[in-house]
Amino acid sequence: MNEERRKILDMLAQGKITVDEAEKLLSAIGEPAPDAGNGAAAGPRSWKYLRVQVEPGPSSEKGDKVNIRVPFKLIRAGLKFAAFIPQNAQGQVREALKEKGLDVDLSKITPQDLEDLVSNLDDLTVDVDGRDKVRIFCE
Amino acid sequence: MLPVIVHFRVRKPGRRPFGFYFPILLVWIVLAALLVLLFPFLLLAAVLTWRRGPGRMLLVIYPLLAAVLWNMSGLHIEAGNAGNGVLIDFT
Repeated sequence: MNEERRKILDMLAQGKITVDEAEKLLSAIGEPAPDAGNGAAAGPRSWKYLRVQVEPGPSSEKGDKVNIRVPFKLIRAGLKFAAFIPQNAQGQVREALKEKGLDVDLSKITPQDLEDLVSNLDDLTVDVDGRDKVRIFCE
Repeated sequence: MLPVIVHFRVRKPGRRPFGFYFPILLVWIVLAALLVLLFPFLLLAAVLTWRRGPGRMLLVIYPLLAAVLWNMSGLHIEAGNAGNGVLIDFT
């Protein structure tokens, strides 16, 4: 990631600019738009693992620490097991997700959707600074 | 790649950390033997439930299971706080 792109994304993360403004700035500096077709395995940045790190912040009471590294291939293989969820259980899962504000119908998710989802995880970087510091990224 | 060794480590307050390397390859060998033994029953279940739907799904269980196990290498799970902690690392 070059310096200009990083600055723009930092400003977006800090709320100094909107998503539309960030998009305009990125296109102004000639950054190519993310392409859904370029999967993790196909692109030059072939990430191997999804990392989740939780580190205690200054105000953390318990000092909980989590470090998880999951191979992308395992995620892909594991997601295929979703097809084994029985129909009646899918209804219950949908209800539970709806209660949490997520209206997702698992029966309509195709293997291609799952593949697209995992393929695009390589662009994911989440940093949350609160009581604990949470980082989700690919490596 | 199929993981052959798994590293476990447990930490509890007031005790020395306890950890060991387990040759999980032995588990895979036992599991493989079990799956071979169960295969005729799985085929039978697949044939019996073919018309209602699950039969076809049963036939892909083995390849899917193999895919999951084969790609577990590199899985690293570590959680803890100041006192307690646990680590599971497949290599």
